[in-house]
Amino acid sequence: MMEDLGTVYQAEIMRRIRSRPFIIGMLVGVIAIGLLTRLPAMMEGAFSGARSIVLVGDAGLTARAKPLLSDDYKIVGTLPNGPVDDATLKRYKAGSAIELQAQPDGLHVIAYAHDPGSLHKDELSQALLPLQLQLITHRSAGAVEKITSIPITVTTIASKFASAGQATAARGVAYTLLFFLYLLIILNSQLVMSSVAEEKTSRIAELLIASVNPTALLAGKILASATLGFLQLAVWIAAAVYLGGGGSGAGSAQAQESGMLSLANALDVITPGLVAAFLVFFIIGFLQLSTLFAGAASLINRTEDLGSIALPLVMPIVFAFIIAISALGSPDAPLAVVCSYLPLFAPFVMFARIAVSNVPLWQVALSIGINLVALYAIAVLAGKIYRVGMLLYGRAPSLRQVWSVIRS
Amino acid sequence: MLDVDHVRKEFGSVRAVSDVHFTIDDATTFGLLGPNGAGKTTTMRMILGIFVPDSGRVTWNGAPIHDDSRRHFGYLPEERGIYGKMKVRDQISYFGKLHGLREPDLSKRVDRWIEQLELSVYQDRPCGELSKGNQQKVQVACAAVHGPQLLVLDEPFSGLDPVNAAMLLSVLDELRNNGTTLILSSHQMWQLEDLASRFCIIAGGANRADGTLAELRSAWPTRVVRVSPPSNAVRARLESVAGAQPLAHVNGAIDYRVPATTDFAALLRALVEVAPVTKFEAIEPSLQEIYLRAIGESAA
Repeated sequence: MMEDLGTVYQAEIMRRIRSRPFIIGMLVGVIAIGLLTRLPAMMEGAFSGARSIVLVGDAGLTARAKPLLSDDYKIVGTLPNGPVDDATLKRYKAGSAIELQAQPDGLHVIAYAHDPGSLHKDELSQALLPLQLQLITHRSAGAVEKITSIPITVTTIASKFASAGQATAARGVAYTLLFFLYLLIILNSQLVMSSVAEEKTSRIAELLIASVNPTALLAGKILASATLGFLQLAVWIAAAVYLGGGGSGAGSAQAQESGMLSLANALDVITPGLVAAFLVFFIIGFLQLSTLFAGAASLINRTEDLGSIALPLVMPIVFAFIIAISALGSPDAPLAVVCSYLPLFAPFVMFARIAVSNVPLWQVALSIGINLVALYAIAVLAGKIYRVGMLLYGRAPSLRQVWSVIRS
Repeated sequence: MLDVDHVRKEFGSVRAVSDVHFTIDDATTFGLLGPNGAGKTTTMRMILGIFVPDSGRVTWNGAPIHDDSRRHFGYLPEERGIYGKMKVRDQISYFGKLHGLREPDLSKRVDRWIEQLELSVYQDRPCGELSKGNQQKVQVACAAVHGPQLLVLDEPFSGLDPVNAAMLLSVLDELRNNGTTLILSSHQMWQLEDLASRFCIIAGGANRADGTLAELRSAWPTRVVRVSPPSNAVRARLESVAGAQPLAHVNGAIDYRVPATTDFAALLRALVEVAPVTKFEAIEPSLQEIYLRAIGESAA
């Protein structure tokens, strides 16, 4: 049987590596990685116009306002007095202008904007509050800062991370890895499914099953697809390292502060344990889904039926992915904890919990144990369906017939 | 030797095979006959180890069918299948590997089959681009590339033009001469009549008749006597035979169905005494007639 398995494995690798779905899947992954690593910078560039402002007013007043506004806005110019028209905003490539007036009762602000919604009054008011206090109380900027800044000390309890920045970076890494996990499991399981469907619909299945043990045939396919999954992963990691390399250095310190994902802070939070968890849950998730897909695909007679038979199997994976994303924010929520044990859900949800919190080891072990038992049950069930389904032609079998095959 | 020993196979409430039994000697050709739904394909699948019989057993050289014995079997199913995107050469090579062939023997055998089936010009083309007849030749090569000890062919001639059918016949002859045991099912009785040395007719999942053509014929209760030229004297003499029934005139001759136990030498002497006879023939039943009668009996 091992010899058969090796022959099928080798043939599947050669067939699939040249297939369009595999190449497209790999390229989609690389493009997605490119977008994930470049998107924050691109978004910042694309929307920077709306946050660019021109300050208008007395030179002393605008000079005192500049440091207060520079965190939230990009100040592209100053003017001594208003009003400001459209031509002025266009000349400075600014989204709005903010005129400051020192009145006896304090600071008055007049805003000119192309899009009034782009200026948030509360945000502006909060940022300029120290200036207002300076004007009303006639105190110095330093004295006002003393009044307005309250020292806050954050003490982390039982946290996996040393700082808020690291925790935010970890969530970014976890989100990215979850996305890869989802892509890898779905794409490679679909490769197995399409391979089985091709053999069934081309009617070569009977010839194959007469030549080789069905278990070896199915196992060869699944192992070949898993190997291609690892190959895909290697290409994606290489792409991430190459494309994310530009984010290192001074930029990465900023990124760490803001929680933005860059290679430098990603490497900080990707521990060997996290890598091991990724690989273990990829293998478990892939084997569970691909075996189910193979069993289901053996029942179809036309490739057009693939979508309808795959949908009910893909839905739990989509739900699992959504729950895993929410688990990144609340890893100990009851739904996340329960789902981190459930077959098909656990590979995503437990991995998400491990990535952002200290999940007790017994919970991880229990989840892996439950899912390995479930994998065995799925393999027995799907294997039975596959062995019979591959030889069933004509009308698609009813649920009752499928059930009788499972029971036999 | 293959021994199919009273096998039975059910799928839920459907009994596909209730009692089929026969033995096949090495390096012989065996014809498995039966109408659609008779249980031929299920029987073949049990022989190949794809299905396990619910009762009875199949043995090859005295041992049950297992993965190792399957390596020495070949199969051409009725539902032809092919990897449309795989090249002809790669496809034949893949099935050779699945049956345990390794280089350099594999390449030699693939080359020989490509040449023998006149597929050389197509060997680097995807199978999906070939005509149906050429695809069928690729399938035959896939089934036989490893030189199987037992080759099962389900309707091997369907879809083949006369030239390719003749080519397949010569291939099967060569395989049998090289020691391969052949099991064939076909609706084209004339081809099987020439090819097979033993037959089994099944219907309703059970044996209806089996044996060599001579054995099957010996069990046939009547013969057709053809006499020429027709005359009233000849007719009268033939009708005097107990159980004789007149049949239609055929090309200036008269046919009568008479019991198989008739003394044909005595009948010929008696006919010659009453009228001039230029042709006298006692016609044996054809495989087609034996088959139709066996099927008819099962239907009844």
